[in-house]
Amino acid sequence: MKHFDQRWQICATHARQAARRDEESPFGFASRVASRAREAQPSPSDLISARQALVWLGGALAVLALCAALELPHWHGEPPLQTGIENAVAQLVWSL
Amino acid sequence: MNGDEFDVAQCLRRVREQDLEAARVLVERLYPQIIRIVRSHLPARAAEEDLAQEIFAKLFARLDQYEQRRGVPFTHWVSRLAVRTCLDALRAERRRPELRWADLPDEQAEWLQFMLADETPPPEASPTSARELLEKLLAQLPPADRLILHALDLEERPVKEVAALTGWSVTLVKVRAFRARRKLRKLALVFKENHPYETL
Repeated sequence: MKHFDQRWQICATHARQAARRDEESPFGFASRVASRAREAQPSPSDLISARQALVWLGGALAVLALCAALELPHWHGEPPLQTGIENAVAQLVWSL
Repeated sequence: MNGDEFDVAQCLRRVREQDLEAARVLVERLYPQIIRIVRSHLPARAAEEDLAQEIFAKLFARLDQYEQRRGVPFTHWVSRLAVRTCLDALRAERRRPELRWADLPDEQAEWLQFMLADETPPPEASPTSARELLEKLLAQLPPADRLILHALDLEERPVKEVAALTGWSVTLVKVRAFRARRKLRKLALVFKENHPYETL
């Protein structure tokens, strides 16, 4: 086994002499691959739609932020119902 | 766009503009380079055309990434992509095909006998059978080892080129080649112990 490496190299030298197999692309292969690649890529209309969607999303977020900014000064953490209304509701429920 | 007139930059520009004809020409141009890599690193149960197609799909999907890495020749970038895809396919192969004496055609068995014996002269068997046997022996090794020995011994690529192709350092390529050869010797030893003939 000590000569294995040398014999491997001899065998490799012979192997390199083996005739190369055909390296031409099979008929229709290039057209098929090119078409699939084109289909996989987003079309210009898809890109435009995606860009428009982003613009709309940005606009909606801006409106939301504006509303929040306008509402914030009036927010004091008040209870949902005034005391008087709360009592009236409680009396109504009690009488029922 | 044939022969020396082929302008890679112009072709790539047209492909990016979704020119179908340019994409077709690019595939035809790169096919020999890619199919050589695929045949060298083909998993046992994969069809070479399917793997080549997968490589081309990745190539077109990542074409914009190539532009960012200036200074790297396009063919090197393609080779690297192909090698990585093949390695992934080989790693996905759960079980490597087992090599048995009984399954070897006579000519391949003669070459194996020559490699395992100490004083046998090289057989008269054809170079094709030698190549097929080496491919089968290499298929027994882990993907990275197979890649290294195939590139160094069967394709006679310089270490530097293999390093560029794989993205590994020159030292790592040498270390991996050394370890791969050691694994191959062990494999050969197992074969020798299980050899059916008494002539060895």
